[in-house]
Amino acid sequence: MSGDRIRGAFLGLAVGDAAGWPAARHRAALHAPWSRRLHRELDAFAEEHRVTTLPVPFALNQPVAPLAVGPSDDAEWLAWTLLTVDEPRAAAFRALGPDIRARISVATAIGNLARGVEPPASGHDNPHHFDDAAAVRAVAFGALGRDPAEDAQVTNAGDGLLGARAMALAVAEAVASGSAAEAVRAALTVLPGDTAIGHNARLALEVARAAGDPFAAVPALDAALLDHVYSYGVGAAQTVPVALALAEVSGGALDRAVPAAACLAALADSAPALTGALAGACGGLAAIPEGWIASARTLAGCCVPALAGKDLMELTEEFA
Amino acid sequence: MTFRDRARGCLLGLAAGDALGAPAENLSPAEIRRRWGRLTEIEGGGTDDTEYAVFAASLLVRHGHALTSADVAAAYRAEIVPLVTGPMRGAGFSELGTVEALRRGLEPPLTGRAHLHGWSDGLAMRAAPYGVFCPGDPAEAARLVEQDGLVSQSGEGVLGGRAVAGAVAAAMSGASPRETVRAALSVLPADSWTARNITRVCEVLDRPPTAGSGDAPARAPGAQDALVEALHAAVVVRHYPWTDLAPEAVALALAAYLVGEGDVEASVTFGVGLGRDADTIGAIAGAVAGAGQGERGVPERWARRIGPATGKCLPVVAGRHVLDVADELAAHLPTDPVDPVDPVDPVDLGGLGAWADGTADGPGGGR
Repeated sequence: MSGDRIRGAFLGLAVGDAAGWPAARHRAALHAPWSRRLHRELDAFAEEHRVTTLPVPFALNQPVAPLAVGPSDDAEWLAWTLLTVDEPRAAAFRALGPDIRARISVATAIGNLARGVEPPASGHDNPHHFDDAAAVRAVAFGALGRDPAEDAQVTNAGDGLLGARAMALAVAEAVASGSAAEAVRAALTVLPGDTAIGHNARLALEVARAAGDPFAAVPALDAALLDHVYSYGVGAAQTVPVALALAEVSGGALDRAVPAAACLAALADSAPALTGALAGACGGLAAIPEGWIASARTLAGCCVPALAGKDLMELTEEFA
Repeated sequence: MTFRDRARGCLLGLAAGDALGAPAENLSPAEIRRRWGRLTEIEGGGTDDTEYAVFAASLLVRHGHALTSADVAAAYRAEIVPLVTGPMRGAGFSELGTVEALRRGLEPPLTGRAHLHGWSDGLAMRAAPYGVFCPGDPAEAARLVEQDGLVSQSGEGVLGGRAVAGAVAAAMSGASPRETVRAALSVLPADSWTARNITRVCEVLDRPPTAGSGDAPARAPGAQDALVEALHAAVVVRHYPWTDLAPEAVALALAAYLVGEGDVEASVTFGVGLGRDADTIGAIAGAVAGAGQGERGVPERWARRIGPATGKCLPVVAGRHVLDVADELAAHLPTDPVDPVDPVDPVDLGGLGAWADGTADGPGGGR
């Protein structure tokens, strides 16, 4: 059963990743630069002409496959983590080629490593030390029962590091027991109340419990966690608490938790993925809708080009 | 030189650097050179740096050394939050994030942690009055500015404020530029982004002259472009679209102050030429240099351009002139300089251990 839950965590993350609207934007990176420029120009056109027909990612003289529902950045970084999990972490990041796309924390950390700034400073001297790049990778470490800290501190610090530890513990607990409530309890043990992530996690749980249902909790989570001041919705202090709260209030049901996470537009890049990982670990692979697995299992290579075409189902077999 | 003179020089230098740097904010050094050559003439008014510094000074005048973060949060709630009814003009992310956190009922230090801009230079830009208030005592200046910082910043954003307040406190007692920068380092943990960045810019400045130049790199005409590039390479974060990072702005400002050898005009004009958060870099460099040189150190043509704050960023400070604010701060200081700074050790130009030593006492020691 725990093998099914380990694979549930990995495929659940990919399904959540695919469900959020930013996935199509990330996957459009596979298209020619002029095609994406056209998208930006259409956005400007809509602004200038006051038309509300907003451009969506589209293909002109380009293959259309990347724009179908499918996994993007988070699923690829999870797969990369699994493939390199036995390597020293800073060395694994150093070995990444120049063609990757990643969060600001990772891009800055790789620049730091190249300048001789080693962990933990590589993750600390970093404007996005707080983001959830390490929390996404921590799903791999947690499912395998390993400590995510060495990996996390390459790219993150502060709430970013706490988010990784909380996700790893929650996923490990969900894999072991299948209980979302126990997973949340485990995560809270490493989230001090005087940090933003610890404060927000407790607040998110409170408002989600009051709402009583994942979808019902969406406006309350938006009001409680988001100040809408900053432009990048990948802060671990927001996305990890949303994942914990929705996993718990859904009782670990992925098909209820992930759609709610995807409704939080500002957090839709990664909160659905983290939510999917937690709920997927609770319910196991068997609880994930077949159609979603079919759409989410094949990686696009939009962030780690070497992973284009890689089957996440196959990859996870050796870990389950 | 009296403390009053230094206080006036400090806040005038801050306002002048802010106003001079404003049009260069977020421009590349190459674009700044293309537009102005060297940017030396103030075109318009100051920005949030000046207005928030005036607000910070008012906190010190009211609460003195007893100032707590609860006092600061109360002042935000009474004097800033109610006036933000529409757009919060001239505010950075950290200020608006703080206002949102206060509106949610959070208290410091969570108000500074709940938003994602804890590291912004929003405290560093307004830290100078704390240094003015504690001449010769960088540690106390750093302790006081942290009370303000806990409301709006966290981590490196607090440290950036500590560094600037510590530097101004040292400069207020006549410390040399090198001693002043060492005082900034003395109030930072050595294991911090800000301390590492200050050390990095010092290493750049201490590099031997490049081949073909018989002069020190900082002084040779034409070599300044290469120096600007080297400073950017040392501390500028490349993969990030915003420039208000305290560890970056503070290190660049102190580098400018060292390049200008403490002269207000030389420090500020070099600083704003670095681009990035040019108004804040100019404000910090101007404040530290102005504290060292006093009011007469600020070019007369700049001083003439500094009028009362308009309140365009913080309505509560409208009409306040930085020189009046400086006089109010100085009224709380002894009329004659107290003990002169400890004799300044000759600074070993290659002695990076001394720069990096975060445990050393700043000039003047404890209160």
